[in-house]
Amino acid sequence: MGHKYQAIQWNGNKLVYDAYVVIAGVAFLGAFFFVGLAPHPSGHAADPVVLAIRALGSAAFVFLTIILAIGPLARLSRRFLPLLYNRRHLGVFTFLIALAHFGLATLWYHGGGPLNPLVSLIVSGQPGDPFPGVPFELLGLAAFAILFVMASTSHDFFLNHLGAPVWKAIHMGVYIAYGLIVLHVAYGYLATEAGPLAPALVYGSFTGLAGLHVASGLAEWRKDGAMSGRKGPFGRDWIEIGDPTRIPDGCAVIAPLPRGDRVAIFRDGRSLYAVQNACRHQNGPLGEGALIDGLITCPWHGWQYSPRNGVSPAPFSERIATHDLRLESGVLFVSARPNPLGREGATVAIGGAIVGGYNGDAAP
Amino acid sequence: MTLNRGIISSPDERDMFIGWARAPAVDRRFLVAALPLGLAGVGGAGYALAAALDDPGAGAWLTGATHEVEGVFSRTPYPMLRIADPAAPFGMRTILVIAEGKCTSALALDAFAGEAVRASGVLIERGPRRALEVPLAHQDWIAQLDAPPSPALAAPAEEDLGPVSLAGMIMDSKCFFGVMKPARGRTHKACASLCIRGGIPPSFWARTPDGREAVLLMTNADGGPMGDAILPLVAEPARVTGRLVRVGDIVQLRADAGDYAPADA
Ligand code: FES
Repeated sequence: MGHKYQAIQWNGNKLVYDAYVVIAGVAFLGAFFFVGLAPHPSGHAADPVVLAIRALGSAAFVFLTIILAIGPLARLSRRFLPLLYNRRHLGVFTFLIALAHFGLATLWYHGGGPLNPLVSLIVSGQPGDPFPGVPFELLGLAAFAILFVMASTSHDFFLNHLGAPVWKAIHMGVYIAYGLIVLHVAYGYLATEAGPLAPALVYGSFTGLAGLHVASGLAEWRKDGAMSGRKGPFGRDWIEIGDPTRIPDGCAVIAPLPRGDRVAIFRDGRSLYAVQNACRHQNGPLGEGALIDGLITCPWHGWQYSPRNGVSPAPFSERIATHDLRLESGVLFVSARPNPLGREGATVAIGGAIVGGYNGDAAP
Repeated sequence: MTLNRGIISSPDERDMFIGWARAPAVDRRFLVAALPLGLAGVGGAGYALAAALDDPGAGAWLTGATHEVEGVFSRTPYPMLRIADPAAPFGMRTILVIAEGKCTSALALDAFAGEAVRASGVLIERGPRRALEVPLAHQDWIAQLDAPPSPALAAPAEEDLGPVSLAGMIMDSKCFFGVMKPARGRTHKACASLCIRGGIPPSFWARTPDGREAVLLMTNADGGPMGDAILPLVAEPARVTGRLVRVGDIVQLRADAGDYAPADA
């Protein structure tokens, strides 16, 4: 397994992924230019630089919307996991498009004048300055600054050095950036152009994204709700899970813990194992993964852990915490307390046939 | 007990895409259908957005050629050349003189005021409106002629066309005449403000009640340069009450900055 696990660097899937990203970028920008450079029905032709500024800005918005849709889509269906897998490259690609938009707009609209272009960009819209009004340029600049920090810390090097919680917090900034971009477009482009399509796309994307996040959040909340509040007869530290035979072989069920974490309980044939749900890499939901070659495999980027002790196979040494399990009268309970890293958790075996229903030691 | 299966569940719960391994058949089938759809959607969005763009506006920036003219240079209210043109209304054509970039006030042209000159530069034209874009770095593009200036061009007849109230938009005469298309509205506001701040003459772009386009050279109420007080209203819908005065072939809109007010789009 170890040699497969190493493949968090380049591999065929990543190359195919990036090829599709580039094709999508070419498709959008090419179509935009092809149509935009043709004379308008009035016979007037657009300035190619203004057209490029608009094409790049629109592309950055569309790709950022797609990036933000991938997370909730992948939680709603595993079929979207391939899009999640190399999302970081899509993010960096989108940043480069935003960079080109920022550079061209700054030079073309703010350059060559009596003010430094960056000064002009910042003071436009400031009260007291000759350019008042809603400073849509500043909104765009703030969003760009966030994307810049995200793109420059996107490598796993920063993930390892900053730690997953800090890194995740930085990358949650993308939601702030997206909100700023919606406002940037609303007070800039949408205040300039008259047609109904652009506002429909912008506000439709925003609403659609919000809906997807609510849907995936609700689904998760329902699962948590179904699993929570069941404290059995063994005190606060043991959470009732229910009938373990209903966990599909090779898969897991996720249960919320009182302190807000989650635990994933995997079934491997007749054996059950419990581990923390958060992956060491980027907090991916391990319980939404599967057992592959006997190893817990994260659905996001394929990191693997032994279900017995939570340790990654050699040559890797990442560790996640296990939790103890106990079975009483056919009802499964999991300890709310994680074991120290590296320690095997108390596991449980269920009797009877693996497929074909529960045939346990005692009837419930 | 609730189990974590997706909406599209696979026959085998363990079918899961892992980046470093070959994708399961169910994922490959899904991707074969979804990726072309996604690419078509992205390309279609680019196509539709560009097709929905507003009219970019008239005008041309004829960068491919150097345009040479002979006429009389005038320093006020803005640097301009008047050339004799029997085909044009009133027998003359006024050409605004605008520097490369956005800093026309840096042109030092006082020595040529009221003189007959030969000048060359890049022509910018929108309908009957003309501007000549000239270099800032040197003055080789302008030379005084030996001939005395024609009085008709040096001091053309003025005609007071009376008071007006207009709705429209304040534009910078360079971008609007053809350098940037489109050159109106919020996305162009900072650029237009910089241009006007840098000495490029402002124009008022109005539609007459019968739907025709009117492009009026903006001056203050006395016919002098407009000044920076107008900058907050640039590139936004605006209203103005002032006087129209024809000077040669050009109609000036004479109103002070305080005579302008924001208008609803
Ligand atoms: S989050 Fe990346 S492999 Fe788990």
